[in-house]
Amino acid sequence: MLYRIVHKTRYQYRTPVRQGINIAHMLPRDTRRQQCRSATFRVTPTPVSTRERLDYFGNRVCHFSIEESHDSLQVAVESLVDVSPDPVMPELDLGSSCQRALATLRESTDPEVLLAREFVLDSPLVAATAALRDYAAPSFEPGRPLLSAVRDLTQRIFVDFRYDPGFSDVTTPLDKVLAHRRGVCQDFAHLAVACVRAMGYPARYVSGYLETRPPPGQAKLVGTDASHAWFAVFSPGEGWFEFDPTNDKLAGDQHIITAWGRDYGDVPPLRGIIFGGGATQQLQVSVDVQRL
Amino acid sequence: MSSPLKPEPERTLDYHPGAGCHDEVVDAAGAVRPPWRYLVDSLAGLGHAELAERRKKAMRILRDDGATYNIYSAAQMDRTWPLDPVPWVIDSEEWSLIEAGLLERAELFNFILQDIYGPRELIKRHILPPEALFGHKGFLRPCDGIRLPGEHQLVVYAADMVRRPDGTMCVLTDRAQAPSGACYALENRTVMSRVFPSLFRDSHVHRLALFFQNLRQKLMDLAPGVASPRIVVLTPGPYNETYFEHAYLANYLGFSLVQSGDLEVRNGCVCMKSLDGLKRVDVILRRVDDIFCDPVELKSDSQLGIPGLLQVVRDGRVAVANPLGSGVLENPVLLRYLPAISNHFLGRQLRLNSVATWWCGDDGDFAHVVSNLDRMVVKPVFRTAEDQTAVVSELDDRQRQALLARIRANPAGFVAQECVLPSHLPAFGDQGLSPRPAVLRAYGVASEASYRLMPGGLTRIGTREGGVVVSNQAGSVSKDTWVLASEPEKQVSLWPRRSGEGAPASEPSALPSRVVENLFWMGRYAERAESGLRLMRTVFLQTGGINPIPDSARRLLLQAVTQLTATYPGFVRGGEAMLADPDEELLAVILDRKRAGSVRSCIVSMLGCAEESRELLSSDTQRIINDIRDQMAGLEHSLRTEMASAPEEALAPLVSSLLALSGLIHESMTRGLGWRFMDMGRRLERAMQTITLSRAILVSRLPESEENVLLESLLMTVEALISYRRRHRAGLDLESVLELTLIDSANPRSILFQLEQLQVHIECLPRELSMSRELAGEKRTILEAVSLVKLSVLAELAGTGSGEAIRTALDQLFSRLYHLLGETSSAIGKRYFAHAAGPRQLLSPQWQVD
Repeated sequence: MLYRIVHKTRYQYRTPVRQGINIAHMLPRDTRRQQCRSATFRVTPTPVSTRERLDYFGNRVCHFSIEESHDSLQVAVESLVDVSPDPVMPELDLGSSCQRALATLRESTDPEVLLAREFVLDSPLVAATAALRDYAAPSFEPGRPLLSAVRDLTQRIFVDFRYDPGFSDVTTPLDKVLAHRRGVCQDFAHLAVACVRAMGYPARYVSGYLETRPPPGQAKLVGTDASHAWFAVFSPGEGWFEFDPTNDKLAGDQHIITAWGRDYGDVPPLRGIIFGGGATQQLQVSVDVQRL
Repeated sequence: MSSPLKPEPERTLDYHPGAGCHDEVVDAAGAVRPPWRYLVDSLAGLGHAELAERRKKAMRILRDDGATYNIYSAAQMDRTWPLDPVPWVIDSEEWSLIEAGLLERAELFNFILQDIYGPRELIKRHILPPEALFGHKGFLRPCDGIRLPGEHQLVVYAADMVRRPDGTMCVLTDRAQAPSGACYALENRTVMSRVFPSLFRDSHVHRLALFFQNLRQKLMDLAPGVASPRIVVLTPGPYNETYFEHAYLANYLGFSLVQSGDLEVRNGCVCMKSLDGLKRVDVILRRVDDIFCDPVELKSDSQLGIPGLLQVVRDGRVAVANPLGSGVLENPVLLRYLPAISNHFLGRQLRLNSVATWWCGDDGDFAHVVSNLDRMVVKPVFRTAEDQTAVVSELDDRQRQALLARIRANPAGFVAQECVLPSHLPAFGDQGLSPRPAVLRAYGVASEASYRLMPGGLTRIGTREGGVVVSNQAGSVSKDTWVLASEPEKQVSLWPRRSGEGAPASEPSALPSRVVENLFWMGRYAERAESGLRLMRTVFLQTGGINPIPDSARRLLLQAVTQLTATYPGFVRGGEAMLADPDEELLAVILDRKRAGSVRSCIVSMLGCAEESRELLSSDTQRIINDIRDQMAGLEHSLRTEMASAPEEALAPLVSSLLALSGLIHESMTRGLGWRFMDMGRRLERAMQTITLSRAILVSRLPESEENVLLESLLMTVEALISYRRRHRAGLDLESVLELTLIDSANPRSILFQLEQLQVHIECLPRELSMSRELAGEKRTILEAVSLVKLSVLAELAGTGSGEAIRTALDQLFSRLYHLLGETSSAIGKRYFAHAAGPRQLLSPQWQVD
């Protein structure tokens, strides 16, 4: 499946900003199920420098600095991405059991397993608590295949939690999301990551886009899509697999990845520091995912 | 135990070595160890009283040098750096063992650093558990893959060592973030060699200067291809506990001392904001912890960072030493795995061992720690201010349970170490010599193919015999460390010889705008405090005499106090009761530091500015600043007790010190921009104060006898009474007073004198080239002020012959002059000082709806 994704971000400042130094995680990375054919990255006003590099997690990041005074900042990214169904389908029913996976994680000296253990640990935005562990535990029976357990967790989050765009923001703690059983895709992705980690398995946060389909018989509107987030789990010997708790499914050829990390904090679409700008900033974002 | 230091009865210097530990001076048989013999004999020869004298002298020198160490909890900011007069003596044979061990360790930590931010073989080969690295807050993922030019990534390395009871040395901690203390060691050495000149000379002690020369060379090498690299020392600022050292280091090496606000990223480079524009910086020696260094990629709410720094580092356009991310090496879990790590990188065990360490994140270690807890020292893996090292045997039962609960909640967050009783050294106190546990911090700097060690280091001793933890925050005392040379050493100068062509020399350090701004305000505050004090003295003299001064004059004079110091409502709107009984208010205007405009608040502000620019102030200046601080502190008491009789006497010492300060700056500060800005501040303030005072007491017309009191008060305050009397024997009249205080450009306290000086300074300031013929703002305002004064007609101003109650012309002149000076000050500030708002985070996007 070939997609064109147009992701536009616009900041409007109250007073002029004399300098801005920013980092964007907006260019889709290549993975085993997707390939980024091209991507253009345009910033207005024109930066004095733009640099692209791979970060610690292998994501593509763009650094750009603006040194002229400006009232608004626009970042427009247009990318063409080839997405296919995951060539490796997870063995939901036959893979290694939870118990076995835990033992392997503890004992294996395979570098891939050792490096994956980084993703069992708490990260700045995702800390595994007893409450999260209690919530997760019913899915992770020792004899059950790990990926099946995670699939079950994904479904439970979908069923138990209400999608509520007004409820949370970047700073809402997971405890609150858990207590009120509501949130948006980023919350659910963080929640799932925390649950999986609380049980002792590696999990990472995945940031990207989801193709949305219009209701039958209606034309698709431009700009109605949004960034999406889901998560991935590492099963020793099997590898990393992605699950989408917001939509109760495995990530498939409608999920386009931009970047992954320990949590949102590693891969926000845009972050930076400005000098000036006044007390308030207004932000508008539009995303359009077009199947070609 | 016998008393070994007892050559003559009248010069006894008793020392009873510590029990249960290794004593550095006295061996098990009670004999003085050979390397110590000369020192011990010499100290015994001096005797207790003389040693006490020398110690006092040492403390005085340290204080004059401004050597301080800040303790966070202490109310008073500075604590003079404490130095014990007995050094730690180490002979050359033993030192070479220590040196070999430390060099090897420095190399090893360099390998670890390269690996952690590179291939991470230590993880992949299962040498270090992944959690030990990935769970440590010092592991900064954005720093992955960054490399400094040259062989070594770890530039400066330090280790804290103690000697075990069995006599072997072992390392307690490795320091790789921004090791502190090297300059305190140098300061200790400087003081010791002055206080014990002959003892020091005859002891053949290795010199420390070479280490700093190596450090400078290494920093220059970090900017390959740059002929004169600009190197700066980045400090968090005067509130940091080791700020003294940052300033000292910058001065000693000839680099600029900067705070983060002095630097900014422009066009892909790091630049320093200086008076003559942005200067590109090539190398940053940082004393700010790495995590704070760049709010764009590291801690996003840091106020101590330079936004965008990391990307400039990545591009290789600035080098930071130690590199960002090196704090991860201070993770004590590494000590637990160091033997395996050493095997991996060096193929052998380390010569210099670490203290036995267990990591609670390992199940086996955890069990061992729990069952041997009482014999352990427990440390968090990541140092924070609140989570400190705990000596379990010193905890009560409740504390022990709490500690255990914290460990159980997060085992991977703690290490436990064998509780080593360090060897003891004699410390000199009022009771003579007593044994104290000692820790030695040694320093290495990368140098081409290897590391170079400072032959010596910073010794610190604990506060009580038998203690196991020695920390500056807990009030330890420092010592010089004497590594004995087998033969006398040649003198090493820090200055590289200016021989070979192309020999790298660092660029003369330009002043950051912030420093200049602080000098300007230091001038202003010093003058403001001084004029406040002078007026106060006048008020005390005039109101405390035998003959009461007329009431209306008294009232105007008191109101002038409020106006001059801007401590409203004060006497202006404070009511009759306050005017009738002014003492409390006068005291408050002098002593109340919370009252903006009070003498004390001006002094506090002045001291703050001096602190910000301390690397420019000589040690003589430092001494006077100390005096001012002391006198201000003592004034509270002396003034309250003397209020009943001649209170002006209590003010005299402070006035003298302020005068001494301005005299010293005038006499010994280089006539660079720093001096110019300080003098501008002073002139501006003096002119404004004299204007305010004159306006307050001269504008209203009073009967002659009352007016005379006021004229006399003005002359006293502006130090012109004697000149006036010499010139005008007839008596006081306003025109003659104005002539002397307003337009006499030969009187260094007249208003015109200040204005003309200001005009000269302003002409000399650096300016951008401009084709415009229009005068710059501050040139325009000062020109108008000078002209107004020069063109004034004294009789008109004095209103001679007119019968008005108010001297309108005089009032208008003063009002206009005051306004012009305010404009001049803000024009200078706007042009030369950085007033940009600090950086802020880009708004985090709200969760975006999907």
